[in-house]
Amino acid sequence: MGIDIKHIAKLSRLYIEDEKVEKFESDMLGIVQMVENLPDVEDEPLLDPANPMTLREDKAEGGKYSRDELTRNAPHVTAGCLVVPKTVE
Amino acid sequence: MELYNLSGYELSKKLESKEISSKELTEDVFERIESVEGKVDAYVTLDKENALKKAAEVDEKRASGEKLSRLAGLPVGIKDNISTRNLRTTCSSKMLENYIPPFNATVMDKLNGEDIVITGKLNMDEFAMGSSTETSYFKKTKNPFDETRIPGGSSGGSAAAVSAGEAIMALGSDTGGSIRQPASYCGVVGLKPTYGAVSRFGLVAFASSLDQIGPIGRTVKDTAMLYSAICGFDKMDATSKNMSHPDYLVNLKSDVKGLRIGVPKEYFSKGIDENVKSAVLSAVKVLEQNGAVVKEVSLPSTEYALNAYYIISSAEASSNLARYDGVKYGYRAKDYDDLTDMYEKTRSEGFGDEVKRRIMLGTFVLSSGYYDAYYKKARLLQRRISKEFCDVFKEVDLLAAPTVPSTAFKIGENIDNPLKMYATDVCTVTINIAGLPAISVPCGYDEAGLPIGLQLISDKFNEQTLLNTAECYENIMGGFKRPVL
Repeated sequence: MGIDIKHIAKLSRLYIEDEKVEKFESDMLGIVQMVENLPDVEDEPLLDPANPMTLREDKAEGGKYSRDELTRNAPHVTAGCLVVPKTVE
Repeated sequence: MELYNLSGYELSKKLESKEISSKELTEDVFERIESVEGKVDAYVTLDKENALKKAAEVDEKRASGEKLSRLAGLPVGIKDNISTRNLRTTCSSKMLENYIPPFNATVMDKLNGEDIVITGKLNMDEFAMGSSTETSYFKKTKNPFDETRIPGGSSGGSAAAVSAGEAIMALGSDTGGSIRQPASYCGVVGLKPTYGAVSRFGLVAFASSLDQIGPIGRTVKDTAMLYSAICGFDKMDATSKNMSHPDYLVNLKSDVKGLRIGVPKEYFSKGIDENVKSAVLSAVKVLEQNGAVVKEVSLPSTEYALNAYYIISSAEASSNLARYDGVKYGYRAKDYDDLTDMYEKTRSEGFGDEVKRRIMLGTFVLSSGYYDAYYKKARLLQRRISKEFCDVFKEVDLLAAPTVPSTAFKIGENIDNPLKMYATDVCTVTINIAGLPAISVPCGYDEAGLPIGLQLISDKFNEQTLLNTAECYENIMGGFKRPVL
């Protein structure tokens, strides 16, 4: 089995430098060969009925944080908005 | 007196009786940090100023007669993937080097409510992906028992700090062994709680169906005391179990009479060092001599658990880490052509190689044409592993096994060989896969003086039995042995 590391990196939104491709490819091949050793298990529903998740009501519980607090970690903020490169010409 | 050497339980009594003050204790712990941190490198961020401020506040409250919790005034270190409001939380990654959370994890709200003193944030493998703390962007933490060796991981900073006296107790997180494995390597006690017992809200997500926050202490009592403070239902975590918990410290009973202990034969097969095997089996013998009933049991799917673990955890990691895109928080690349280029460069420059490997493995096993062969099969195996544990717990009350197949390895020994590194998790990942609780308690030392851990595993939400058994063993064997630094 071959691993196309450049393709997987693209899907992962990662960029692998040319000099690292060989090492990543051989590591990934070894890992995939290790993990593919799994027995055949009879198919059954995967959700656990004994442990359903309880979701909160989809309701905003605002007022705890200011806009400044929530955006202070963003790399680029202008007028309280997160700035990204232009996506529409 | 070197206060940092005392257990949290002893210190709690001294604080309560006003024999010592929290300020005195906190100063003593920071003196210890100043003297040994250069050798251990356990912390990413120290918070001395706020720690001393908090200690003084606690002392004032106590002086005014206020009834305080038993953790009040104790210096506790926090793994750097647990969100601490206004205190940098990096996950030991360049990606979050300057990230300051605007909110607290639920466990931090709980611990602040108990008036703990936060010493700082502890080093870890980047995004908790690793078994040696060597994948940290910032530094390599050393094992206090031998500074040329790793402390384990991913909560290596937490275990090393507690072992070295740089914190009285610490919080870690465990996705595949990340509390128990470093606890074993550093000769301390580490508890991985049942999945759903401790809120994950504010724990930076790695593999959400496996992650749990848990306590690390030098004694079982300290571990029980810290665990009691952090467990419990939280509506902010949809997988949190709504149930009442006992006071694990008050209910601690040092007694194993009639306790049925299973020894799963698969955990003692090839790949386990002879000295580890013999120390763990001797520990089981000690428990048997004190009234436990021991029998061999079998968990046949154990040999596949590591494979299933790496598929499931990497799949979840690839989704969870998609949030690091250089837009909302964290690192952003300086030069890029367009939005996609910005994403790729940001993630490639911000993540280390191990994180990239796991994201790519996760992307691969979830990709079209491979999902059924890898991810679905691993999830089905997860069900089978859980069922095997359920069946075994009809016959025995708990299981005894090694925590790790060997003692701590040398820094750099496995870092270029991911498969060898992953194999160190072979005894711990199964427990996360099945959502069970487990504790690692020191049970001996190899010929080089490196600690060996006994892992006790129980059925879900039966942490009290784990703690009782560990307490009994610790009382018989004498407990924590200080490393010489």
